Amino acid sequence: MLHIAFLVAAREYLENLKTKGFWMGIIFFPLIWTLAIKIPVLIEKKGVPTRYFVVTDPSGKWKALIDREVDRRHQREVLDELVSHARRHLKRPADRADWLDHWSTTTALDEFIEKGGQTGFLKELDGLFEAGTAEFVEPRRHFQRTELPSEVTEEPRNTLIDRLRPWLKGDQKLQIQGEPVGLFAAVIIPELVREAPKNSTKASDKNSNEGNIQFWSDNLADPALEQLISETVGRELRSAAYQARGMNQSAVQEIEAIRVPLVSLNPRKAAGEERVGLGDRIRQWIPSAFVYLLWVAVFVSSQMLLTSVIEEKSNRIIEVLLSSVTPEELMTGKLFGIALTGLTMLFLWIASAMGVLYLNTSKGSVAGTAENIPVDLLNLLQTTWLLPAFLGYFILGFLVFATFFLAMGSTCNTLKEAQNMMGIVMPVLIVPLLTIPFIPRDPNGTLARVLSWIPPFTPFVMMNRVTGHPPLIDVVGTLLLLGGFVAFEVWAAARIFRVGVLRTGQPPKWLEMARWLRSGA
Amino acid sequence: MPVDSLALQLQEVTKRYGDFTAVNGLSLSVPPGCIFGFLGPNGAGKTTSIRMILEIIKPTSGSVTVLGSPSALAVRKRIGYLPEEKGLYKKMKAWAIIAYFATLKGIDSRTAKKRAFELLERYGLGAFAEKKSETLSKGMGQKVQLLAALAHDPEFVILDEPFSGLDPVNQEVLEEIVVDLRRRGRTVLFSTHVMSHAERLCDRLSIMAGGRKIFEGTPAEARAMLPPRVRLRTTHSVAPLRQLPGVTTVRQLPDGAWELQLATGTDPQGILQACFDQRLVLSAFSAEAPALHDVFVHLVGDEAREVKLR
Repeated sequence: MLHIAFLVAAREYLENLKTKGFWMGIIFFPLIWTLAIKIPVLIEKKGVPTRYFVVTDPSGKWKALIDREVDRRHQREVLDELVSHARRHLKRPADRADWLDHWSTTTALDEFIEKGGQTGFLKELDGLFEAGTAEFVEPRRHFQRTELPSEVTEEPRNTLIDRLRPWLKGDQKLQIQGEPVGLFAAVIIPELVREAPKNSTKASDKNSNEGNIQFWSDNLADPALEQLISETVGRELRSAAYQARGMNQSAVQEIEAIRVPLVSLNPRKAAGEERVGLGDRIRQWIPSAFVYLLWVAVFVSSQMLLTSVIEEKSNRIIEVLLSSVTPEELMTGKLFGIALTGLTMLFLWIASAMGVLYLNTSKGSVAGTAENIPVDLLNLLQTTWLLPAFLGYFILGFLVFATFFLAMGSTCNTLKEAQNMMGIVMPVLIVPLLTIPFIPRDPNGTLARVLSWIPPFTPFVMMNRVTGHPPLIDVVGTLLLLGGFVAFEVWAAARIFRVGVLRTGQPPKWLEMARWLRSGA
Repeated sequence: MPVDSLALQLQEVTKRYGDFTAVNGLSLSVPPGCIFGFLGPNGAGKTTSIRMILEIIKPTSGSVTVLGSPSALAVRKRIGYLPEEKGLYKKMKAWAIIAYFATLKGIDSRTAKKRAFELLERYGLGAFAEKKSETLSKGMGQKVQLLAALAHDPEFVILDEPFSGLDPVNQEVLEEIVVDLRRRGRTVLFSTHVMSHAERLCDRLSIMAGGRKIFEGTPAEARAMLPPRVRLRTTHSVAPLRQLPGVTTVRQLPDGAWELQLATGTDPQGILQACFDQRLVLSAFSAEAPALHDVFVHLVGDEAREVKLR
């Protein structure tokens, strides 16, 4: 029995490996991974143009502060880029490792600006770069304050915004170095900025703009400038208030520099190891990643399964097969073959994801803290029961759906008919996908617990809960339920398969299939 | 002959689908080492019977014994089967398909591969061994499928409508294969509705119509079911011949010749003598044993026509 099923599985597996679809899937996935990492970085760097904004400030003291803050943020970015440029292109970066590391502190920015910024930095490393290293290109500024368009007069102030509207709406363009560019925002600062009550950065009296800084922009997606202005002005106001109350300026700064020494600790870990490290954070999201992989694998292989059954049916190969193997052997073989295909795909995906992560981190284009994600991941997978749990839930979850698709496929003669049937199953498949982000936030909440006990969702939801330490009753109970459900499905599918595969003509009604289950004929 | 020495025995096998009875009380005995023809018009229940023999479907009632076993699947390694509707895995190579089916029948994969190439070579498909089956012509594909059914050298070969779709040359090749199987002591059961193949090949045959068996025996026994006939051509009136003893009916055939059906045991020589006595000028006279075709039409003609009209 098993020998024959193995032969069927082997053929199924090898034939799947030969299909274009399989390899497209294999290549497509890491491609997505790479793009998902690269594109935001690219957009950040190249895609977003410098955004120009105007500030009206009758008191005259804010413009300079804002300009200074805009510049400091830009210098911070220049500094970060310089450090990663140096890490990549120094002949012996290890020699300067400490020096490079020290730039990541908050106080380092002042030092950087003091020592001449970009020029000073590069002078320090003069002659240490590898031959042929490309010239460092200063990153584009995110924000740049500019003067009011020449057609617009600042007075009268209360109608200024009406005169600026065509620019803000994009009907009129600014001329910057001969290029037409849009006006991103207009910041109208009143003569006397009103201090908002504590716990509110927005004005409490929403009907009045009196005393408020007005931030006009039709781009609501990018809050960075709005925050920058609010923080800058806020800091200055606080500083003035301290002074007004006769407090020592430098003492205030010292006090403000106090940081809470907070460490995240996990009560479940052994004494001395409670500190929450990167590995722990990865462990929080990796189940979600696995759930997603499981979902994709189920989805892709269910398609393969349908295609394979329908090929045998529509070609009438099924008859020769059934004179050589029992329907149960054929079904078992197919399930094994497809499961193996799915596992191969998963393995290659995970391997390629690791590869992509590794390549990207070693080049330093992912934030410094993520430097050794692949290593952490491997350690994590080796030392916890995450991998066995994943494999277990993968196989069970796979069986839940594959068995179902196999039975459905056996009753259809064409892919079109099968796709109609898929329509009924799709909503069930979508649910676990939708719950992926919610389960880890409250892994032992009502939603998670209820869904865990619904067999088609069990593998997805329980997989997502594994690191949330679900109660033992949930683990054992749902495993038993899932096992029982799979056993029932295999039994039912074998009965439907036996009748379905030899059937031609219209696909059966649900009621009819229920009859096959009862009679077994 | 005792049951366990028969290649196949069916006893009162019936298959019903709801109200429809596809096979009704079919009993058959196929001795080993013979070629058994399973004849009948379309819709007679041949394919359903074959599926029950192979245990692909279960009979509603009755028993099937194949190679001494009540379960064909238990002896499946000794059975080869070519179904009526032919199909192959499109993306698989010709040799791989043959080898795959051989391994399912218990041949180890290395031997299976070797045998696949040998068979393809022997039957003139050597050049196509590495071709995907979707690139083969229909006839070639059918040949590949036949080879797949034979690759494990089964004792009992069941071929459902093996000749349909083959050109005359390949039909002849297939006949040779079937005869060769018998020469090597194998048992062959094949279904057909083309009588000429059955006439040339069968040691025994069974005729089915409307789900029932209406004949089982040797071709000679089948022919003996029809009375002897003579055929003659004359410009004279044949009226006097109607009066002759032993002549049961006289009818004119569409081509103008006359056919006289004789009572069993009547000597056609006497009819010729009578023609001379009556001074009938004959341009042709022949006395033939009836062909299987005539037996078939005689036995199932009405039924077949009925089926066709339905």
